[in-house]
Amino acid sequence: MQRDAYVPPTAGGGAARGGGGYGGGGGGGDIPRQVSMKYLCADCGKSVTINKGDMIRCKECGFRILYKERTKRMVQFEAR
Amino acid sequence: MPLTGLPLAVFVFTTTPARKKVSLCARACNSPHIHRHCTASTAAIFAMAPTKEELERRRIVGVEEERVSNVTSTDFPGHYPGEDHTWNLEEFRKKLKIQIHKANDLDYEFDLIGVDASIANAFRRILISEVPTLAIETVFVHNNTSIVQDEVLAQRLGLVPLRGDKKGFQHLRWLKKNPDEPAVEATDFNTIVMGLKVACTRNHATPATETDPEKLYFNSSVYARDIKFQPQGRQSDWFSGAGEIRPVNPDILLAKMRPGQEIDIEMHCVLGIGQDHAKFSPVATASYRLLPSIKIKQPITGEDAEKFINCFPKGVAEIQTDKKTGQKKAVIVNPRKDTVSREVLRHEELKGKVELGRIRDHFIFSIESTGMYHSDELFLQAVQILKKKCVDFHEKLLES
Repeated sequence: MQRDAYVPPTAGGGAARGGGGYGGGGGGGDIPRQVSMKYLCADCGKSVTINKGDMIRCKECGFRILYKERTKRMVQFEAR
Repeated sequence: MPLTGLPLAVFVFTTTPARKKVSLCARACNSPHIHRHCTASTAAIFAMAPTKEELERRRIVGVEEERVSNVTSTDFPGHYPGEDHTWNLEEFRKKLKIQIHKANDLDYEFDLIGVDASIANAFRRILISEVPTLAIETVFVHNNTSIVQDEVLAQRLGLVPLRGDKKGFQHLRWLKKNPDEPAVEATDFNTIVMGLKVACTRNHATPATETDPEKLYFNSSVYARDIKFQPQGRQSDWFSGAGEIRPVNPDILLAKMRPGQEIDIEMHCVLGIGQDHAKFSPVATASYRLLPSIKIKQPITGEDAEKFINCFPKGVAEIQTDKKTGQKKAVIVNPRKDTVSREVLRHEELKGKVELGRIRDHFIFSIESTGMYHSDELFLQAVQILKKKCVDFHEKLLES
């Protein structure tokens, strides 16, 4: 059974596509993957960009807990 | 006075002693009981048009120590033998009175005199649930990093009352009149778009000792005034300048934020009615009460008078001194201010001297607008809606 590979949301418009070698770990090997992600430091609140294989660590304060950013997609609600 | 439609039982009572032989009640109430009025001779019933006192008595709902008496209205055909109570436009015109007591932008208090409770109640219910207003219906959250959850914020936004050019609202149509109906396409005729885009930032100009978040940060509180109208198509003509669509109360607090947090929301507002959701209700309250009536049956003098006036809220009763005899006597000045607390009925020395009640067809109506309409327009709108319902009903009757 073919399963669609997880595509992480793109961060910063492909600003850092440094580590080029790590394409497609999941099912479909031909899907290009963004390897750098933006996170928020849980301590200082700064935005942290990490690549695959990097330490999960804030570059400013060294804190080891990072938050995922909220989706940029529009979410619809009923005002009820 | 027309005598048609009277039950024959009336005539039976002229010859039989009513107490012994049980037959149908003369008042056409079809009750096997004998009412007090049945014992009177029929001749007397026919001859008697209701006296002024009797008419006055019928208008009063009695408020007694432990019960309320005379609750239902009796002015319908067939209730009193020999009296014509069929509905009559001329009669209604003569009886109907409207007195305005308070008319502010948002508060409206008036007396509606001479209508049945069913009509007054219909107006009240229409005001609450059937006069259409504009409210935020769909919320599109692009970004919300504040601590208020999206759905909570959406619900808060929906309850914000909106206002705008009243003539402009006449251009608006329903997006969806019934909840079951599929929605038509959103156009400038049925949807108003509003935006809310705020980001909180640090104010670097404040001293380090400052602790007030309002000064430390920009936009630490998001208010209703931050909701901005985004006119679509011809809406910029209909709602321009002071007639722009905006929240009635600019100071409603929607959310609080800290630096780095952001709210970016688009909202679609539609017309709706209170029946669908309370946010569409144009009134904060629409209610009525009956005018209290306080009757002093025996003069209340001396110390009792003092006691008597203390039984009522300020301004209801007063002590007057008789100029000739110098005797102090309690009089009723303004029954309108009374709350009908029945305190007077608790005192032994005042027993039997006072009769409390409410006037059945005197409604003190109070309307409190949420701000989209002026309070006085609201009642007229309610009348129009009821009228339309009647016309629709009449048409349906003619069809079938």
